This record gives sequence, structure tokens and C-alpha cells, in this order.
Amino acid sequence: MNEGQGRSDELSSIIAAAHELKAPLALMRQLSLSLGSGSSQQDIERVAHRIQLTSERALRLTTDLTRSSRLQAALFELEPVNPYELCEEVARELRPLFQARGTDIEVESGRRHLLAIANRELLHRVLANFSDNALEYADENATIKLSARQRGAKIRLSVRDYGPAVPAQVWRQLQSSLGKRPQAVQARPNSSGLGLYLAGQFAKAMSGEIGAINHRDGTSFYVDLQSSTQLSLL
Amino acid sequence: MSRPVNVLLVDDDVWLLEHYTDLLSAAGHQVISAKNAVVAIDLIDKQAPDVIVLDVLLPGATGFSLLHELQSYDDTATVPVIICSGLTDDLSLDDLAPYGVRRLLDKTTMTPDDLLAAVRSVTL
Repeated sequence: MNEGQGRSDELSSIIAAAHELKAPLALMRQLSLSLGSGSSQQDIERVAHRIQLTSERALRLTTDLTRSSRLQAALFELEPVNPYELCEEVARELRPLFQARGTDIEVESGRRHLLAIANRELLHRVLANFSDNALEYADENATIKLSARQRGAKIRLSVRDYGPAVPAQVWRQLQSSLGKRPQAVQARPNSSGLGLYLAGQFAKAMSGEIGAINHRDGTSFYVDLQSSTQLSLL
Repeated sequence: MSRPVNVLLVDDDVWLLEHYTDLLSAAGHQVISAKNAVVAIDLIDKQAPDVIVLDVLLPGATGFSLLHELQSYDDTATVPVIICSGLTDDLSLDDLAPYGVRRLLDKTTMTPDDLLAAVRSVTL
């Protein structure tokens, strides 16, 4: 990659980050403006809780961005990780946000003794990222489902949302841009793709890859990781 | 106090929908809301709103698709639309006016009064 292209990609990422942060910041501003002089104590507590959850959501993105910048410089140790437990951990962390927004998040029951070769922290970020994306697109009252399944020598961790089908044109664009550099919002109206780009980078650092499946009633985003043979050695 | 009108809010953020609904209802307006363009079209067919407050980035079909849809039918082509978005820097009222857009509100700078004033001005 030449220097000019590198700068262009960097600028594109900065624009994408600014766009992705704009939405939660604008929401926090609007929520704070909703508190007038006549607000009850209950209103104040409700809005304060929403501002807190929204700021935590924005902070997760900034944490991902800084972690992404360390991927080149630092080694993230890979170890056997129980994907089911990790799904439970992510669901527990995000459930307050999901429930406050009228949805829910749960882990599909399955084999609990799977082991994937992963970095626990990075895999947590990938799942949190997919879940955050699902929250944006899921129908009200829908439950987002996390799952972990064995697929041959791989372990697939998926986040399934239930919402409007993604139009074919947008889907083709999404498929071709998965894991690639985020684009400016003008080029891709639904999202800059920054979150998925970061998830793709984190998956790559664990020798894994991300993908997506379009359903008639929603979307699944997944990460495939190498399965650990540790259990079979026991 | 402005003349009460039927307002359709279209935004994928449930908290913003709730905030705007409270605000417009307190001003005496009838408010219905949709989280996406498909639900919005259904509500437009059934309830014929006087004004639509529309976000641009929606899951599935975008706000722009909804604008095109509105222009496809005689009875909806004249419904005034207020775009309420965080992306207004990239939008031009001149470009969007042929699609029924009468006001642009920037979510990053607008106040509750701006929304009430916009609804009032397009339904006079």
C-alpha cells in the first residue's frame, strides 16, 4: 500500500469513527434536553440511566478503536476458551442496555463443553460488537440470540437478530465489505461498517474470520474460530 | 399553542421516539411512531398523518426509500416531511424539496422547541 492510500484509509476510518460516535452523542444530548423544570424524580432517574447506558455504548466503541490500534504492536495470547461461557458473559454485560431499549439478549442452549482457540478479550469484543449491531436492527420486543456450535474443526459463535430483511442490494454491499476498511457514510447509507471492520480485525488476530447470513426475518453475524483439541486429549 | 395535527415519527431509536412523542403530545398533537420504513408505510396508509418527522438512517429500507414511496402516490406526495437526522451536513433542502421535505433538523444541535416550531411551520 502506498503512503497516499494509507492516509486515505486512515482518514476514512476517522470519518467512520466520527460518524459512529455521533449517534450516541446526539442521543445523549437529546435525552438531557428532555429533562425540563417539570421533570419528576422518576423521569430524571430514567433519563440518567439511559444516558449512562448510551455513554457506555459509545465508550465500548472507543475501547475497540484503541485496542484495534494495538493489534499490530502487541501479541494477544491465544488459549482454549469456552465459547458458551463467553456468550453468557457478553449477554450478562449487555442485558441492561437491551432491556432498557425494549429488547432482550439470551444464549441458546447447546453443548457447554466446547473449546475454541481464541483470545478471551478479543472474542468478547467481537461478540459485543455483533450484539450492538443487532440491537440497532432488531425489532422491538425481539430477543437477540447468541450461540456457539461445533462445525467440523471450527467453532462458530453467532449473534442472530430478528428484524426487517436486509434489501438485496445492501446485502451484497455488506458481504463484499465485511472486514474491509470502513467507508464514509455517503457511500454506504446504513452504516459505516466500522464495528464490523473492527470485529474482522479482532477475528483475524485470532486466526479466525467473520461472516454473515441473511434470513427472511433478520441476520446472523458469526465468527469462526479453530476448535481446541484439548478436550479430545483428556 | 399550535393547531393540533397528526404527526408520524419515524426513527429507529426507541428512546428518541419516546422523547419526541412526549414533547409533541404535550403540545396537543396526536402522535404515532414507527421504527422502520415498512411500519411507517403501513401507518401512513391507515392513519394519513398531516406531517412526517423522518430519520434518514433506518434498518432495512432507508428514509430516502420512504421519500420515494411517498412520491409514488397522489394522496401521500403532498404530506410535508421534516428530516430529523444526525447527517444533515450531507443533505441539502433544495435537493430534497422535490421529495416533500420541508425542513431539515440536525439532531446534534436541535432543541425541543425547534421540533415544535418545525411541525408548526409546515402545517400552517
